[in-house]
Amino acid sequence: MTESEREALVRKYAAGEIAWRELREHGFEDYVEVLGALGALGLRQPVAPMDGPNVAARQRGRVAIREALRSRR
Amino acid sequence: MSGPYRLIVTDTSPLFTLGLADALDARLRPGLPVSIPDAVYIEATRVRGAPGADRIVAWINDHLDTVRIVPTDVGIDQQRRLDEGRSIRGLGEQAAIEAMDRFLRSDHAARALLLFEDTDIERRHAVVDARVDLVSTGDFLRELEAAGLIQSSDYILDRAAAEGRNIERQRHAVSDAEARERLQNHLRRNR
Repeated sequence: MTESEREALVRKYAAGEIAWRELREHGFEDYVEVLGALGALGLRQPVAPMDGPNVAARQRGRVAIREALRSRR
Repeated sequence: MSGPYRLIVTDTSPLFTLGLADALDARLRPGLPVSIPDAVYIEATRVRGAPGADRIVAWINDHLDTVRIVPTDVGIDQQRRLDEGRSIRGLGEQAAIEAMDRFLRSDHAARALLLFEDTDIERRHAVVDARVDLVSTGDFLRELEAAGLIQSSDYILDRAAAEGRNIERQRHAVSDAEARERLQNHLRRNR
């Protein structure tokens, strides 16, 4: 993979267009390498919008964390 | 919540993100016990020259009362694959599913919270069991931010990326030095 191909993949990842597992398939060995590539380009890892097939389970998860945090105050 | 509730880490990325941002303790803020399947732990800590790996080991040792490494059959298979030089890609998540199944079987009232990397959770249908909740690194950080427990999720993610860049530079410097040494040795032998 050339440096420009690698950069293009990282930019797509940061934009949420491809997933971490796809970066792995393209030869990224570990997530530190991904973070390093993001940092070199001044990007950050993507945060998933509340969308897709797991929304209900994710919403339950966030509520659970919220309640757990509240109960510790 | 009546039964036990555990957070299960399905991938190395949430560990590295918080590890490099020096924010692993944020993972413990909700007060939930944390399970790290053996295959995830091994994958995270075998990364060459990554200070993040050292931090993860130190963090687990500092919190053995709350954070546990869960042995799995997948982890045994991972070890075999490593010995044979085969790929271990995707085994962390399989080990997490195994750890989750065992946990849910242990108590009919048990519930699990699986922690995923954001882009993976967004695309794939992860789990169907009604006793399983999901959360991504971003979801988790947003809740901490909303509770005023971290400055901002963007700050954590930027810090992880900046530290990742430093580590990558160090790795390249080491591999450049190794390459130089190999070349020097080769030239010496051929004089």
